[in-house]
Amino acid sequence: MKSTKFSPATKLSKAEVDRKWWEIGDFFRRNSLWMLMYCTGCCAIELPPAMTSAYDMERLGMGPMATPRQADILLVSGYLSLKTLRRLIYTYEQMSEPRYVVALGSCPINGGIYHDSHAVINQLDQYIPVDVYVAGCMPNTESVMNGFVDLMGQIKNKKANGWKHYHEHFAWYKANQITSLGEVDVHDEFHE
Amino acid sequence: MTNSMSNIEFVNTLVNKHVKPLVTDIIDQFQVGYVVDQNEIHLLLSALKNEGWIQMSYLSAVDWPEENKFEVVYVIFNWDKPVYIQLRTKIDRTNPSMDSIIQIYPGAKYYERECHEFFGIAFPGNPDYEKQLILEQWDDIPPLRKDFDPQAYSDRKFPQRTYTEDYSVTNNEPSKAEKRKLRKQRAESLKGGKKQ
Repeated sequence: MKSTKFSPATKLSKAEVDRKWWEIGDFFRRNSLWMLMYCTGCCAIELPPAMTSAYDMERLGMGPMATPRQADILLVSGYLSLKTLRRLIYTYEQMSEPRYVVALGSCPINGGIYHDSHAVINQLDQYIPVDVYVAGCMPNTESVMNGFVDLMGQIKNKKANGWKHYHEHFAWYKANQITSLGEVDVHDEFHE
Repeated sequence: MTNSMSNIEFVNTLVNKHVKPLVTDIIDQFQVGYVVDQNEIHLLLSALKNEGWIQMSYLSAVDWPEENKFEVVYVIFNWDKPVYIQLRTKIDRTNPSMDSIIQIYPGAKYYERECHEFFGIAFPGNPDYEKQLILEQWDDIPPLRKDFDPQAYSDRKFPQRTYTEDYSVTNNEPSKAEKRKLRKQRAESLKGGKKQ
């Protein structure tokens, strides 16, 4: 007679066990997202209402984090100049995995109003993988919040795989970075 | 403190005592501009600094490609007499060089580096005017010259996003801007009780 008590399924393969652990991990991860805000551009002005009592990001379990190594989300808010992109790639590669990228505004999508600037890049996803784009110039706070909810849905449905993509296509990303930046390493008088 | 118009007069007599400015612009009661010869800049700046214009607010350049000139602009400010003084001087564009003013205003060091980076003007006297400041690993002509084409640079350097679908509005209705223009024209024609 079969016991009514909980009995784990027997003979699970390693891949299945791994998948289950990832599902458990993703459940906790998506309900407790720590965000590293890289406030590069004007879209950062949408974050104070999103974080404070008006929209209260904390009800989604999200909070700000001070260091890249402990953060889950890299939030790119607005245009990126070449100089900033170098630092952004540094930061992205410092973050522990899994890591997600949310880009606000139209500038990371196609350059926005800076599409013809000599200093501002046109497409962020050429250099690092982006999981969620929030379009708008600038996006209103509702859509920023909606972008975060979308990211949670993507994590749940195992769609937020940008960080895996970065590993698989590392050579392609590096080649793009070299084409636009010349060299990713920072050389200035404060680092030498 | 005296009233501000006499501040401008004070500056005017002070400047005319030292040099003969080519052009005098009195912009308003707080701003005045002078165009002077390239060799007179240092004399005038040190004289004005002794009189209290101790703050170097800005140093930049303007590109005049038709005249083949760069115009270097110095903006200085006095905290006791609230007058901004602009000193402008035109220098040669093909081989631009302007003696440094860091002996007078040490803070101009970084402005001169910036100006060299964006316009390619040399500042002999400043030991590290050629060091990069803002742009990193720049590989083209200085970007704020008028003959630099930022669109071409952007197209060459940064990949463009291509769209497979055309999202532009394709219905044939007249645009709202057109309607607004027509309405405005009609309103104008009826102004003053005239019948059209």
